[in-house]
Amino acid sequence: MKRLKKFLASDFFYQFKSDKMAIVSFTIIFTFVTLAVLAPLISPYNPHDPSQIDLMDSEIPPVWDHNADEEPDARFWLGTDQQGRDMFSAILYGLRISLIIGIFAVAVQMVIGIAIGLISGYVGGRVDAFFMRLADIQLSLSTMMIAIIGLAIFQATFGAELYEEMAVFMLVLVIGIAEWPQYARTVRASVLAERNKEYVDAARVIGLSSPIIMVRHILPNTLSPLLVISTVQVANAIISEAALSFLGLGMPVTMPSLGSLISSGFEYIFSGSWWITTIPAFVLILLILMINLLGDWLRDVLNPKLYKG
Amino acid sequence: MAYIAFFIKRFFQAILVMLVISLIGFSIQGNLGDPLQEMVGMSVSEAERDNLREEMGLNDPFLVQYGRFMSKAVQGDLGNSYFYKRPAVDVIMDKFPATFDLVVGATLIILIVSIPMGCYCAIRPKSIPTKLIMSLSIVGISVPVFLTAIFAIYVFSVTLGWLPSFGRGEDLVAIFGGWRTGFFSLDGLAHLILPCFSLASIMLPLFIRLIRSEMMEVLEQDYIKFAWAKGLAPKRVWFLHAFKNTLLPVITVGGVQIGIMLAYTILTETVFQWPGMGFMFIEAVNRVDTPLIIAYIMMVGLIFVVTNTIVDLIYTFVNPMVRLVGGGS
Amino acid sequence: MALIEVKNLCVEFPTRHATLKALRGVNFSIEKGERLGIVGESGAGKSLSAFAMLNLLSKPGRIAEGEILFEGQDLSKLNDDEMRSIRGNRISMIFQDPMMTLNPVLTIGTQMVETLQAHRKISKAAARLIAIDRLNEVRIPSAEERLESYPHELSGGMRQRVVIAIALLTEPVLIIADEPTTALDVTIQAEIMSLMLDLCKTHNVGLILITHDLAVVSQVTQKVIVMYAGRVVEQGATRAVIENPRHPYTRGLMAALPQQNTPGKRLFQIPGSMPTLDAMPDGCAFNPRCEHVGDDCRNKMPKLDSFEGHLVRCHKAEELQIKGEKS
Repeated sequence: MKRLKKFLASDFFYQFKSDKMAIVSFTIIFTFVTLAVLAPLISPYNPHDPSQIDLMDSEIPPVWDHNADEEPDARFWLGTDQQGRDMFSAILYGLRISLIIGIFAVAVQMVIGIAIGLISGYVGGRVDAFFMRLADIQLSLSTMMIAIIGLAIFQATFGAELYEEMAVFMLVLVIGIAEWPQYARTVRASVLAERNKEYVDAARVIGLSSPIIMVRHILPNTLSPLLVISTVQVANAIISEAALSFLGLGMPVTMPSLGSLISSGFEYIFSGSWWITTIPAFVLILLILMINLLGDWLRDVLNPKLYKG
Repeated sequence: MAYIAFFIKRFFQAILVMLVISLIGFSIQGNLGDPLQEMVGMSVSEAERDNLREEMGLNDPFLVQYGRFMSKAVQGDLGNSYFYKRPAVDVIMDKFPATFDLVVGATLIILIVSIPMGCYCAIRPKSIPTKLIMSLSIVGISVPVFLTAIFAIYVFSVTLGWLPSFGRGEDLVAIFGGWRTGFFSLDGLAHLILPCFSLASIMLPLFIRLIRSEMMEVLEQDYIKFAWAKGLAPKRVWFLHAFKNTLLPVITVGGVQIGIMLAYTILTETVFQWPGMGFMFIEAVNRVDTPLIIAYIMMVGLIFVVTNTIVDLIYTFVNPMVRLVGGGS
Repeated sequence: MALIEVKNLCVEFPTRHATLKALRGVNFSIEKGERLGIVGESGAGKSLSAFAMLNLLSKPGRIAEGEILFEGQDLSKLNDDEMRSIRGNRISMIFQDPMMTLNPVLTIGTQMVETLQAHRKISKAAARLIAIDRLNEVRIPSAEERLESYPHELSGGMRQRVVIAIALLTEPVLIIADEPTTALDVTIQAEIMSLMLDLCKTHNVGLILITHDLAVVSQVTQKVIVMYAGRVVEQGATRAVIENPRHPYTRGLMAALPQQNTPGKRLFQIPGSMPTLDAMPDGCAFNPRCEHVGDDCRNKMPKLDSFEGHLVRCHKAEELQIKGEKS
């Protein structure tokens, strides 16, 4: 309770309160997260359950989009897709999957990236050169490329069914591994700056071992920049997952994320069923936009010099 | 003289990279489905299969097989595509011009739009157009490329009917050999507009913001103040003194973006059913057309090495402090 | 008529919280070929005076009041185009760090020729000849080859010579040099300073030398202004001010010179530090650090009193003089 009070009285929270953009973006993100967490409870249907889907119900438009003489179908607020799945439920579950993958992928990136960054920065020398070279290569190949090739190889090697079962895990793993350099570089930069400070010498003199110095002393001082890039990384992870699913390398159509929903609905915009692609697309864009805005605000507040542009 | 040394060094690095990629590619090939299955189908008996395996050298040790693979690869033979029943290299070269068109178009759009806009935003940071551009750029970064593509198709193709929504069109002009481009015909251009714009859309906000922030930093430097103190015309100060210095970091970052661009061609081509390498790759993955998959990966590696070398070269041209040929003092 | 006359120059920086007055009521004039020194700590406003004269203040700084009379015009009222014909042409500037002053991606030749071409109708070839002439004058060897060099290929001293050469290209009547030797090696400083002095005498060019180094001022200039917290606290002929400093601050500066101190003893230091623009004390800005401070000093800002042309802004100036206090 006391900590909460302290937080509410802090400079940080004051800046948050006074910036409308920050409040709006945070609220929307919070709403999305809540919806996603509660998806199994609040969605009217379970889109992953084939028994709840009736092909006869396919391609029903959302309740507001109907001809004057027709009665809107009140069962499906946002209409149904080409298989008869309720769009609202599908989007809720899709949001849930997108967020889960986004957050966990970033967690993986953080763990790998921080570990490598700490070691690389603290130990220096050949180890450092090796990891940074590796990071360079990975960064120039780009996450997308690495993810696409990695998943393509996996899918081709192990087949589509196994892939479907392991999709979430694979996506988290691949996106996590593809993006560790971002975290590693940031942490390493901080470590290099902190390494020469006196408190590190002091810790060494007392006889603390390197790993302890790295984790308990240096790491806390590098947290601020990490927080800033984390928001961007989550947004990027969600985008990456959406793109991969769109290509058919991500979440399967039976357990769709927002990306796969968009993909499966794409061809239907030509035949008039615009909502199958457009509504999930809108949700996706809104989510990413809000995360980016919040990230921008965080960057301005915590450290104006960090990310250029 | 020093340029030759540079090229030799780069050449060996390239060879090294290609070796690594080919090794990876080859090892994967071993695990990706059974080549025999693709070739002879189900009705062949087990004994015959074993014979075939022996004949094709599929039971030889890894290094031997790899050696064989490499010797063929160097001659341009990466096996035949299962689906197209033609040499994989041929298939790729067939599709390459389409992707090339796309990338060239997108790059042109990026250069023509981001440079003036970025410079303007740096020179007039508080003006209304600048604020507008910066807000739009956040939206631009937030929208994944395939959504821009879909949205563009929906507006310009489905709703307005102005532009075609898939393919390269029929009116392609042959420049040399089998290389056909869409840039020289109206229909070709019409087909190019939406895909190139979509591909450019993810990099545009990035470059605008990058150029803007680099230039803003440059404009604070003492040598710019000195240029003003010398009474030089504003255009000269902005577009020679400032701009040349802005280019340096932009080239470096730009070079890194090439990988991203390549990856996004896959996405764009998929949306527009653009008959380029990216689309081919996705189809190959879906069909488990292993030789094509490997060939694509190796092609990407090659493009990568070449473009990185070119970017580095350009950088040394622009930055007098890293001249390969030593300056005199 | 004076070459340039600055009257009551006031510079302020409007910020969100308050308007910071960075320069208040600076007055001075320079005759043709005369050399003036402006002395003070960092932040005292010396560079600002120079930038203000050429209207090169970084935003949001602006000239709030005052006149800058030069060749019959008030520079503070001119627009950008009109100023451009004066900058680098009639009045040149030399900055502190030549590595940062010269554009790293352009050749020396380009940076010299463009200065000439910006102000004269002249061909590139003719401009190059003039440039080579100047480079020779500042004693740079192999001048012609140097035109193709880049700044990073030259040593610090050479670079500053190039900057001086650029300043002289258009035959200006006034050069403003902002700490021209501070960024150079100590051994080179004297060389460069003496070069500048020679050139100014030869070309009969006026010089405003901005520095924190009193020793240099005493050797080069004829008049000097001492600035503190945005105001002039002492002003007069260099000889007079150096030999008989009347303001406690100036005295402190003189006392702090290493030459004034006995070897082996602690160097003298004026206690405390100069107040920032947003935290000015009441009364005389120097009073928190002054050893002669009195009640008047804490309440009233002293005016500039004149002692036979030697101006001092101090309540106690006369008093201290009578007591015969010397550095």
